[in-house]
Amino acid sequence: MEIRPGSVLLAALLLSGCGWFHRGDQGPAPVPVDEPQPDPTIIEPQVTRREVKTPHIKAKDFELGAYVGALSIQDFGVNPLYGLSIAYHVTEDFFLQADVARSKAGQSSLEQVFPDISVLSNSGRRFTYYDLDVGYNILPGEIFLGRGRAFNSALYVTVGVGDVKFANIDNFALNFGVGGRILITDWLSAHLDVRDHVFDSDLFGVSKNVHNIETTLGLSVYY
Amino acid sequence: MPRLLALVLVLQALLLGAGAHAAGAGVELVVTEPYLEMHTGPGRGYPVFYVIGRGETVVVLYSRTDWYRVRAPRGQEGWVRREDLRRTETADGGPAPIVPYPDFTSHRWELGAGYGIYNRENLVTVYTDFGFTNSLDIELVLQQAFGTIDSRLIGTIGIRNTVLPEWRWFSPTIGIGTGYQRISSIAPPAPLEAGNQLAYASLGARGFITRRFMWRFDWRTYVVFNNVNKTEELEEWKFGLAVFF
Repeated sequence: MEIRPGSVLLAALLLSGCGWFHRGDQGPAPVPVDEPQPDPTIIEPQVTRREVKTPHIKAKDFELGAYVGALSIQDFGVNPLYGLSIAYHVTEDFFLQADVARSKAGQSSLEQVFPDISVLSNSGRRFTYYDLDVGYNILPGEIFLGRGRAFNSALYVTVGVGDVKFANIDNFALNFGVGGRILITDWLSAHLDVRDHVFDSDLFGVSKNVHNIETTLGLSVYY
Repeated sequence: MPRLLALVLVLQALLLGAGAHAAGAGVELVVTEPYLEMHTGPGRGYPVFYVIGRGETVVVLYSRTDWYRVRAPRGQEGWVRREDLRRTETADGGPAPIVPYPDFTSHRWELGAGYGIYNRENLVTVYTDFGFTNSLDIELVLQQAFGTIDSRLIGTIGIRNTVLPEWRWFSPTIGIGTGYQRISSIAPPAPLEAGNQLAYASLGARGFITRRFMWRFDWRTYVVFNNVNKTEELEEWKFGLAVFF
């Protein structure tokens, strides 16, 4: 059968017309004008707002610790040392660290040989320091204890600047250290550190570099 | 002996505190990639010892640097790389709540330390910095200068403008501020005053290193307000490393 464009157009017009009338039938009945209209009240939504809370994953990048050890104060023997440290792990390789510690110098060889001579006063024997260091984990790894146990560990080096107060004088000190850390659990670690505090001293008349090497054992927690 | 006892007590408190933290509940995330690798330690060299399949749920306990401690459905605990965990989803299909690193240009807090020369003497410096805008900061500095005849503690507060904060690797800075120095004598002659007020102007630069790590260089010229007839002028330069939050 041949369909002419004219008839298609006619059919379309008729259909749309039907649609129009049909829609007209469904429309709301006209409201009588004299009936009272209800107040246009605003509908309050009865929906309680849902608290969208992004869960927070705690970062444990800080390490707080305490250490004890032996400090070899040049010319004044080996003496006990107590210290506190805080570290911030910036990446898996680098960390920043600050330490404070104190010790007390013993007798120098001179004082031992000549008991009448006293090089330092009692308060001058106090050896206190603070350090600000950068550390780098050079050899991260695992330590195995038997077949079934492995502890994460790292060998690290530190370098830093700080103050050594000795003989009642504040001395600018450089420090160089190497240490090892074993994580006993994931939040508790044990440290073994060897660190040298170097500064210029003229306590015995001539100015010289003095090396004060400490060997310490510490425990620290990550938080 | 009492000192040792105190140390033991402090340590014990620390251990208990950390233990309580470790018991906290974590965040549950669903693996959407074919698998998620768990390493034995938080570092690139630690081997993969367990793999979690797609659709399974892991509990994220905490993070350390770029690694996240997670618990697998069957209880194994290990470390997952940050980039891998970013591709997981929350239980209702949202993105994993792995917060991005603070933006270098718009970070708020900064904490740093460094070495310098103050009046031709060694200087140790620590500072904290709060940014009001991307380019305007308030800076609080505490430093110690180690001289041969005196030792100085210097505290300053000032404002600093970062000229081109959007430059990541090198942004020049300028600043002004005021402060106080406390002078303690080491060797005679004794200092004329035990302390002075200071004012300074500074020029410097900063740059991004990695993650939340940056370097800073600063040169300052100080005017010391003293009671002697001559105004003292001092020069300082320093280099430091900082962490921003």
